[in-house]
Amino acid sequence: MGLETQGGSGASGRGSPGRPAGPVRPADQSTPASLEVALAHVLAVGTYASIALVGIGSVLLLAGGASPLDGGPPLQAASVVPDLFALRPAGFLWLGIVGILATPAIRVIRAGLGFWRRGERGLALVALLVLAVIALGVLIGVLIGVVAG
Amino acid sequence: MEVGLLMLAGGIAAGAFGSLLGLGGGLLIVPLLSLGFGLPLREAVGVSLVCVIVTSSASAGVYLQRRQANLRLGMVLELFTGIGAVIGGAIAFLLDERLLAGVFALLLLYVAATMARAGRRGATPPASDEATSVVGDDVDSRADAEPDEAAATVDPDAGTLGLAPDRARRLPLAAAVSVGAGVASALLGIGGGIIKVPLMHVTLGVPLRISTATSNLMVGITASTSAIVYLLRGGIDAYATGPTAVGVFIGASLGSRLGHRVNVPFLRLLFVAVLLFTAFQMARRALGR
Repeated sequence: MGLETQGGSGASGRGSPGRPAGPVRPADQSTPASLEVALAHVLAVGTYASIALVGIGSVLLLAGGASPLDGGPPLQAASVVPDLFALRPAGFLWLGIVGILATPAIRVIRAGLGFWRRGERGLALVALLVLAVIALGVLIGVLIGVVAG
Repeated sequence: MEVGLLMLAGGIAAGAFGSLLGLGGGLLIVPLLSLGFGLPLREAVGVSLVCVIVTSSASAGVYLQRRQANLRLGMVLELFTGIGAVIGGAIAFLLDERLLAGVFALLLLYVAATMARAGRRGATPPASDEATSVVGDDVDSRADAEPDEAAATVDPDAGTLGLAPDRARRLPLAAAVSVGAGVASALLGIGGGIIKVPLMHVTLGVPLRISTATSNLMVGITASTSAIVYLLRGGIDAYATGPTAVGVFIGASLGSRLGHRVNVPFLRLLFVAVLLFTAFQMARRALGR
């Protein structure tokens, strides 16, 4: 499938049994691969933005005197934006949670594009397959919900 | 209000504990929410999955920048953990909660035994779960790796996925085990590093530090795939998730900064006791008592 690296990354090291022989490279933080840096950026922005939304939602929830054990409203896409404008906690919480769940998938999309541009078609295909598995998860979730009524 | 603050504090404790000991938060969050706050086990698993993604994504970025995570190997294996996560997410709603509690109790016992053994050797166990310890862009400073391990980075010039040819032949086995790791993650709300780290280190010969970082990277896709199934099935409660996730994030950040000042052997001993007590409580729930 063409998974050999082309200016990419593999693991190397020495010093404990059960690993391939090879020199250990000192940690070089000055010239990290651009794709890795881009992915790190995606993960950082996604995580911090999402956790900030969840944080705001939590503050609104606690300030409103509600208990987290009361059972929050289910996710309804149509009510998220109105909830945000009305400063209701559910809107912030759901937007943050969806952001948290979406961040790894966005990382995979970005990685797939990066591999494709570098000509690493095998790994671009792997990224596409990972996204297909996530889509399968969405489908299974919907189907289970329908079957369960 | 009080319950929310307690949940936040519990999340902070779980995040800090996990960070200091190199364990994923899921192992602690699920018992905290189900035994401590009375949430149904499946709901606790759903919340835990969200928390696990938060800590994984935050620290995976740092690992990628430091070239300590093998992106290519991680992406190939997460394809299989993702498949396992879909399977696990689908069957999680078919299984009796008491069975899940029983499996969780066994997992806790296993981790307690591993940590106790590692404590005698004076090291952190290789079975450590996803490394939450770099949340907040701080570096894990625990002296749990050999000097060479700590310095190891991903080699840009290595061959197939960075594996030696004899190890690369074991990829089909690694793929099959990864499916199992995904199923375990979805059923129990854990990152699955407890399976993936030894798999990469022992079976594929990847250095421990890189195995941990790569496992951490994979956790995001594994947990989010199953969390999506939980979300669509109504298995994630936004109100319970909010304070817990924020607490875990804060705790993991604190843990990574307090790493130097804490007596880790004492903490590990304390943690083993907590795990054993929790395993006992989970076993009681499994037996319906």
